[in-house]
Amino acid sequence: MAKELVTGNFAAGRALALAGEANRNARGCCAGAYPITPQTEIIEYLCANKFSKGRVIAVESEHSAMGVCIGAALGGGRSFTASSANGLAYMVENVLAAGYYRLPIVMIAVNRTLGPPWNIWVDQGDSLMLRDAPWLQFYCDSHQDLVDTILLSFRVAEDAQIMLPAMVAMDGFVTSHTQMVVDLPEQDQVDAYLPECNVPHRLRHDHPTTVGGLTWPRETEHHRIEIQQAMERVPEVLDVAIAEFEEIFGRKPAGTLVADQTKDADTVIVACNTMARTLKNVITERRSKGERIGMIRAKMFRPFPRGDFAAAIGSAKRVGVLDRNHSPGSGGIFWQEIATTLRGRSDILLKDYLVGLGGGDVTPTVINEIIDDLVARKEASDPVWKEVAA
Amino acid sequence: MIEITICGRGGQGGVTLAKLIATTYFLRDKYVQAFGVYAAERSGAPLQAFVRIDDQEITNHNQVREPDHIIVLDPTLITPGLAAAMKPGGWVIVNTQDPPEALQEHFAGLHVATVDATSIAVKNGLGTRAVPIVNTTMSGAIGKVFDLPIDDLLAGLDHLQFGGPNTISAREAYDCVQTATLSGKVAKLKRVQSNGKIPGLLDDDLGGMPKIRTGSWATRKPERQRLTPPCNDGCPAGNDVRGFVEAVGKEDYDQALAILLETSPLPGICGRVCPAPCMDACNRIEYDESVNIREIERYAADHGTLPSPTKPWRKENIAVVGSGPAGLSAAYHLAKLGYHVNLFEGEKELGGVLRTGIPEYRLPRDVLGDEITFILQHGVKAHCGCFLSRGDLLALTHTYAAVFAATGLRDSRTIDLGSGDSKSIMQGIDFLDRVRRRDVRLDGKSVIVIGGGNTAIDAARSALRVGAHHVEIVYRRTQAQMPAIREEIEEALDEGIKIHELVSPIQLDDVGARPTLTCQRMKLGEPDASGRPRPIPDTSEGAQFDMDCDCVMLALGQTQDISILPEGSEISDGKSLLGLSGAPMFVGGDFATNEGTVTAAIGSGRKAALHIHRTLTGEDLFPPPAEPVAASDQITTHVFSHEPRREGGMINAHDRRRSFTEVRVGYRDNPAEHAAVEEAQRCFSCGVCNTCDRCLEYCPEGILLRDGDAYRFDYDYCKGCGVCATECPRGVIYMSQL
Amino acid sequence: MTIIAETKPKQYCDYLLRPGNTNCAGCGMSIGLQWLDEALAGEKPMLVIPACCGIVTAGAFPTSGYGVPTAAATFASSPALASGLSAIATMNEETNPIICWAGDGGTYDIGIATLSAAAERNEDIIYICYDNEIYGNTGGQRSSATPEGAVTSTTRTGKGEGKKDIMAIMAAHRIPYAATLSVAHREDFLRKVKVARATKGFRFLLILSPCPTGWKSEPDESTELIGMAVRSGLFPMYEIFDGVRYRINKKPDGTPVDEYIKKQRRYKGVAADPQPLTDCITAQWHRLNGMAAAFPATKEDGCLPDVG
Repeated sequence: MAKELVTGNFAAGRALALAGEANRNARGCCAGAYPITPQTEIIEYLCANKFSKGRVIAVESEHSAMGVCIGAALGGGRSFTASSANGLAYMVENVLAAGYYRLPIVMIAVNRTLGPPWNIWVDQGDSLMLRDAPWLQFYCDSHQDLVDTILLSFRVAEDAQIMLPAMVAMDGFVTSHTQMVVDLPEQDQVDAYLPECNVPHRLRHDHPTTVGGLTWPRETEHHRIEIQQAMERVPEVLDVAIAEFEEIFGRKPAGTLVADQTKDADTVIVACNTMARTLKNVITERRSKGERIGMIRAKMFRPFPRGDFAAAIGSAKRVGVLDRNHSPGSGGIFWQEIATTLRGRSDILLKDYLVGLGGGDVTPTVINEIIDDLVARKEASDPVWKEVAA
Repeated sequence: MIEITICGRGGQGGVTLAKLIATTYFLRDKYVQAFGVYAAERSGAPLQAFVRIDDQEITNHNQVREPDHIIVLDPTLITPGLAAAMKPGGWVIVNTQDPPEALQEHFAGLHVATVDATSIAVKNGLGTRAVPIVNTTMSGAIGKVFDLPIDDLLAGLDHLQFGGPNTISAREAYDCVQTATLSGKVAKLKRVQSNGKIPGLLDDDLGGMPKIRTGSWATRKPERQRLTPPCNDGCPAGNDVRGFVEAVGKEDYDQALAILLETSPLPGICGRVCPAPCMDACNRIEYDESVNIREIERYAADHGTLPSPTKPWRKENIAVVGSGPAGLSAAYHLAKLGYHVNLFEGEKELGGVLRTGIPEYRLPRDVLGDEITFILQHGVKAHCGCFLSRGDLLALTHTYAAVFAATGLRDSRTIDLGSGDSKSIMQGIDFLDRVRRRDVRLDGKSVIVIGGGNTAIDAARSALRVGAHHVEIVYRRTQAQMPAIREEIEEALDEGIKIHELVSPIQLDDVGARPTLTCQRMKLGEPDASGRPRPIPDTSEGAQFDMDCDCVMLALGQTQDISILPEGSEISDGKSLLGLSGAPMFVGGDFATNEGTVTAAIGSGRKAALHIHRTLTGEDLFPPPAEPVAASDQITTHVFSHEPRREGGMINAHDRRRSFTEVRVGYRDNPAEHAAVEEAQRCFSCGVCNTCDRCLEYCPEGILLRDGDAYRFDYDYCKGCGVCATECPRGVIYMSQL
Repeated sequence: MTIIAETKPKQYCDYLLRPGNTNCAGCGMSIGLQWLDEALAGEKPMLVIPACCGIVTAGAFPTSGYGVPTAAATFASSPALASGLSAIATMNEETNPIICWAGDGGTYDIGIATLSAAAERNEDIIYICYDNEIYGNTGGQRSSATPEGAVTSTTRTGKGEGKKDIMAIMAAHRIPYAATLSVAHREDFLRKVKVARATKGFRFLLILSPCPTGWKSEPDESTELIGMAVRSGLFPMYEIFDGVRYRINKKPDGTPVDEYIKKQRRYKGVAADPQPLTDCITAQWHRLNGMAAAFPATKEDGCLPDVG
């Protein structure tokens, strides 16, 4: 273990490379790579990395980057890539294919505003566009969380009980390009942590099958049910993965979510990524003034941990959600999920705040204003847009 | 509400038919709905389409499961229980050639209508041969069965812009659909509920064989036939020409010879002197040049190993009179059938015309000798120098179980040249016999041969070889019409012999120092009985002219001398002579047929042997009636590449014209060249599978299977595309409608 | 001639293309797959097939019309997917060929960027396009491989533009081997697959694949049609080595293109005037003859290694 001052992208690149290298005694690793701001340094890192059994293929598009990953995974290799915003949009068809093929690919999504217009700054609308894809999704609030979650993701995605791809999101620039000190794992630790990647349905000559051919409604529905069941097994598998992570690395990464001072809270605020770190400071300060307030840092979005949310919210009367994303005609996406979670809880006032979209800087002041609004509310009404400073 | 299920195949137009029916009712102010079931199956795969018709808005979007009517676009789509879920009182309307009653076993107790929509559609050019589009045709039958006025039906077609052949076809079907209510009870089928485990995406037992049996998609199926190759058809000896050529092509000379010896004991001779009608019949002529079958036969005879001769095992003795090709052939085949054969020959040596009539430079004596020896090795007893009279012949019928007479042609035709019995005139056939006996020389002489057959050419070329200085042939027709073997004519010309075509001799003046032959120029007139243009005298001035010579030879053909036959006998090839008290007597060869070729005589002798065998034992060993002859348009010629015929070797004209050494040397026995093998491989093998495997290689499904030399179509999977039939180079595979 | 009996697997389940597949009767692709199987002489490839008839061929899950491991790729990404497969196979020293089997839509149109990129990277892949000059799987729409004049469901009066020269495009990538193949010329087909197999890097094979359904032709005339296309010069048979050296395998023999046109109802508009296609023949042979004369293949090009 060595602490280093690195960018989020560097940290992610290192984590992917360590995971890839860890499969060298099995069928190796392969990544499809294509640049897009603010993700580019990740694939640059990968292209520069020397794998003892691996190859990074610099392709001509995100669509092909994921295509390469699908091929590599179908070949039984460990596979990963990274993208952002319109790159993800261009990749979507193959993102879906990877999920429906049950291939344990890990992808870093560096959140960036979907264009047009041209905007390179953070907004979770890109990865959340893929909320209906058969992918696990994790949102990371720090460099350390990012590194740890990437390793966790390989563990969970490749688990025979799961066999689904996983997306690990971070904030564009705010995380990706910010230098922070990170505890970067050693190769032998990762080797110990990640078992050999075994894709049970990989293409093999001793048992030829056709992957992805015509499937009738009955069988297709059955395969969807299988995906749902695998999703439902994730929390349990994740718990085990975290426990073993702690044994090897000596620290315990967050799981599905982090509930902070919610036990006796009347008011609970939900946020993810770095916004949750800002929120944490605000909450701590308001607590110190005697306010019965807590927070939930949302981390795992798919599968959505409804039970964990319900438990964390507990007996709170007001829940405010900070959504750095927008589903036009509806509202924030985390808010929708939490609303579903709290269905039947008429005692709770659930309010959605759309904030920091297009990369706006969400400061403690902005969050304090939101909380002030929430605690003063008599009724929730529609999601509201919260302006941030220019 | 009326609900209709249409059972069709991909490409037949079932969904369009649903739309057409719906349109017709829509135009009658009904609420309608039409839809198909779409899946991955392709052209030919069974598919369903549905129609609903009602007086009120239709809100049911499910598949029709209990139809009022069922329409079947193809009789092969009828499966057990097809109509089991039908509501009572409806119609089953089937596209089939059969009347409704023929479907009794499937549709007992139901109203059934049938129409031959396929024939109507094909006739009117709708769709392809493999998948005719029968929808518009079927609409006519459906309209009639549903009591729709024809005008309503046509309005529906018109609304969908179907015209021309579609309208004509619909009208035809409207007029000729047959209906009946079949007796018996409607069969009900228990619905099978499937509750099997649904396989998961990560299961380990995936990837099994497809469950579809695509044979059910087919409307046609490939079948194999055997046709008669034109060469076999053209061989008077009955040789399996294609068969021995194929064997040579595989370098199996023993097999080739064995095939030849089935039908002829004289392959070495035929390989030299046969006019080869097989080569004139060869389908390869239309492509480039005929296969050089004669040379291949010679090669097989020269290179194959003779099998061990059989010995007689029957008690019967049979007399064969005449040891020409017919007699030798009969003796051989009888001996092989187990009979004791006594062969009578008037000359001192066996062979008949083979020895006396064919010069050595064409047929070396050792070749003749070897083949005769082989025949005799079968236990045939030869009696040479036995010239039999009529009485002798009759006597044989009392000492032998059967008699075969093939004494050939003895009387030479002559012509009156006004000089009587001139010593300057000689019969060509006599001359050839004298040449054989080495008792004639024509040194420095000038010779004119009259005639155009093989004897004329043989006499002319032999004259050169016994010293003649100058030899000319006069023939009253054109050179192209000469019956002599084409190559022999060319060789004669090469040797310096002159041919005067369209010249007829009139008179020989034998009085002066040198005889002078006066000739008349001829021209071609109307066809005569033989179909050839009749030569008629050219009446223009100067059309008569004189030719000087020392000697004139007549080669005008020969006739049989029937004086040896019992009185009142009528010659007929193959049948025994009537009215004899003793054993049956048969005649054959030129003596009976006057066909004038060795090969015809061989065939005649063989047939006689089979007749005799049948007469004596009742056993019929004649080959079954031949299949139709493979025509040249049944050959897929683009499969082959153009390749000139390989000619056998030959001594050059200068060296050979004074020598009796064999002119033709056949294919050089040079393993590097393999001329015989390569030439044999030019054979198209018309109408007979030669296991070339092209069908197998081109089958898109890989379901044409071969086990040894047997081929099998797996009809469970065959989609009936017909590529195998197209690719079969030789017309063996054809498609039949299911 | 009898080799097939010895090398053809006895069991249907071992066929590369198994009986029970859902291809139409007389589909050129089926012949191509059988010959591919044979040319590989028992060595089983992995297939990567984008959206096209070829993936429907496999039939319904959980069965498989292919007797070799096969992956469906999204329409545009078969070469990308194959690149990933190939990378893993290579690092595991697995040498069985990885083959993209794609229609003209996935090759000439939607997949061309992916194809171009994989060719440029010289991935160790055999890319085979069975070109039926149409979007056959969707019922017969124009593609950029559709020849001028052909009627499709999106060119009702005949296509106004000529066929894209995909071979020239592939040659421009300087790939080690590119060749055209015909389902009417078996020996040539088998040889070219073997040459492709013996070559390293990106190999591109173009098969003109008859489609009775889309071409509106008789299934039993499928091979005959391709024979005509080759003999008339409409579909030239040639090989390009390293993108720069040309070898013509068969010259047109003077067969007029008219008969080819008449046998397909997709050309009903052209039947009266085959000029567009004769012009196309003249132009492409002018170019091809020029290339072959200026940049001929060497004796070593396309030589198969000795067996054993």
